[in-house]
Amino acid sequence: MTQKLSIYLFSLTLALVLLAILSLFLGVYQFEYGFMETLKLLILDHSQLSTTDLYVLKDIRIPRIIMAILIGSGLAVSGTSLQGMFKNPLASPDLIGITSGAVLFAAVTIVLGSYIRALIPEFLHYSLLSLMSFIGSILTMSFVYKMSSTNGKTNIAVLLLSGVAITALTGATTGLLTYLSTDEELRNLTFWTLGSLAGSNWTKVAILSIVILISLGALINKGKALNAMMLGEKDAEHLGVNVEKLKKRIVLFTALMVGTSVAFSGTIGFVGLIVPYILRLLFKSNYYMILPLSALCGSILLLVADSLSRLLVAPSELPIGILTAIMGAPVFIAILIRFKKSL
Amino acid sequence: MLQAKDISYNKNAFNIIDAIDFECNQGELIGILGPNGAGKSSFLSILANEFHQKGNQVIFKNNEYKKWDSKELPKHKAKFSQNNNSDIPLKVFDVIMMGRYPYFDNNPSQDDEDAVLYSMKKTDTESLSNFEYNHLSGGEKQRVHLARVIAQLENRNSNKILFLDEPLNNLDVLHQHNFLKYIKEFTNRGNSALVVLHDLNLAAQFTDKILLLKKGKKVCFDSPINVLTQEIISDVYNYPCTLTTNPITNHPLIIFG
Repeated sequence: MTQKLSIYLFSLTLALVLLAILSLFLGVYQFEYGFMETLKLLILDHSQLSTTDLYVLKDIRIPRIIMAILIGSGLAVSGTSLQGMFKNPLASPDLIGITSGAVLFAAVTIVLGSYIRALIPEFLHYSLLSLMSFIGSILTMSFVYKMSSTNGKTNIAVLLLSGVAITALTGATTGLLTYLSTDEELRNLTFWTLGSLAGSNWTKVAILSIVILISLGALINKGKALNAMMLGEKDAEHLGVNVEKLKKRIVLFTALMVGTSVAFSGTIGFVGLIVPYILRLLFKSNYYMILPLSALCGSILLLVADSLSRLLVAPSELPIGILTAIMGAPVFIAILIRFKKSL
Repeated sequence: MLQAKDISYNKNAFNIIDAIDFECNQGELIGILGPNGAGKSSFLSILANEFHQKGNQVIFKNNEYKKWDSKELPKHKAKFSQNNNSDIPLKVFDVIMMGRYPYFDNNPSQDDEDAVLYSMKKTDTESLSNFEYNHLSGGEKQRVHLARVIAQLENRNSNKILFLDEPLNNLDVLHQHNFLKYIKEFTNRGNSALVVLHDLNLAAQFTDKILLLKKGKKVCFDSPINVLTQEIISDVYNYPCTLTTNPITNHPLIIFG
């Protein structure tokens, strides 16, 4: 079974790299040279490229592609880990309200943060926002977990309904904030609620890489432990799994990934629902396979969605959150139908 | 190899287990018997380190559980639980392979594969290997988990212990006997097993000692011959019984009614 995993990992990585290269040349801007030529020059001697070509590639497209890859894998792995922890295929960060919690804190920071913003250096602006959304996501995560779980058993109705409650609160608060905000803040808020990777730059890429890579490192090899959790928590402990530690780890690192992703790209919903659902069709609930694979599939999904968002209504741009929601809603319904009896 | 002193367990001011002393020596197959609500499962859970209550002391191989390395312990003791999850969307082989999780990080070794095959043979689950776990019948699921527990203890350590909470539920006669024969073989190799059972006659036939519980208290802890008497059994189970000898095995045979 391991051999199979490495084959899948290898081919998906290959697909991801090819897609990333392809995506580099998709968009409104036309390069001076052809596809192969520009790629060759970019790798070998980028001084030969015109300044605009180089600027579009280096400062717009490459950071944007890297962000799509990082956020996609972060969101997908968060979804898969949460589903393992709650033992339910519907437990994704959006549906249980963690994304909303992050958005709530981010929105408050955008509008009310302008008072303190002037006092702190610029590089902290991003950090302030991501820190606040992290706090928002970890608070909602702990709240939702405490609400819905007793003695390690999760009541899935309570879990999803606390998500509904938090999303309602977020909706109301962001609505209220639109009245209080200036024009620029309003544009920022709209961007948050719809989700977009348009604001990508290298500072964001740097912060995201650190957060996502550390979190992925902490979670990606927990597939066996999540499989064992399906036996029940007591039985998992008999197999040497430290259940409490595992749960704390999942709560912390999914909150970290979701919080940072929301801070940098707004609400890109359903990635954590779609990716594990597709992988489950192929590999059942074998987390040993689907946890590492969801990292790559999440990247691919978001990269494709982002490229589409740049192409579909060119020269304008479609918010990526709309695209993932269009894909996500049918998956949501499919899960409801398929697991109707066991939910 | 396993000593327990003064084990008590209260829940909501109700004594589920009341001050039981217990000892299991190497190579013993011990049956835990008693009517419903006697505290058999709770007692087994405490011995197997599932929960801890202040004042309870369980010593396994000269050490308290908390002094054991958590990676090493699963290679010395395993537990089969009564309420196994009936919804595990995996192949049977993958469920049994979970028993080997303490042994490998990423790739199951040849030893791990062998242990799984061996345990499937012992539980007659080889033909189910590629089936969906969720599609199996209750008795088949039960055997899959028994196989998982057997695979978990398949190693070169000596003196291992197996906790089994009603392992025979849902099993047909053939599989009941085959499984108990395997457990007997396991204890004959110098390991120990504690088994919660409901069938007194199987207990008479296979166990070395019987711990008889009633309402959380120890009634007696002795060899089957001394525990399974007409007087004790009809008193503990509150139902008349007759004792004779099994004409085939010569073990005590209890007939209720």
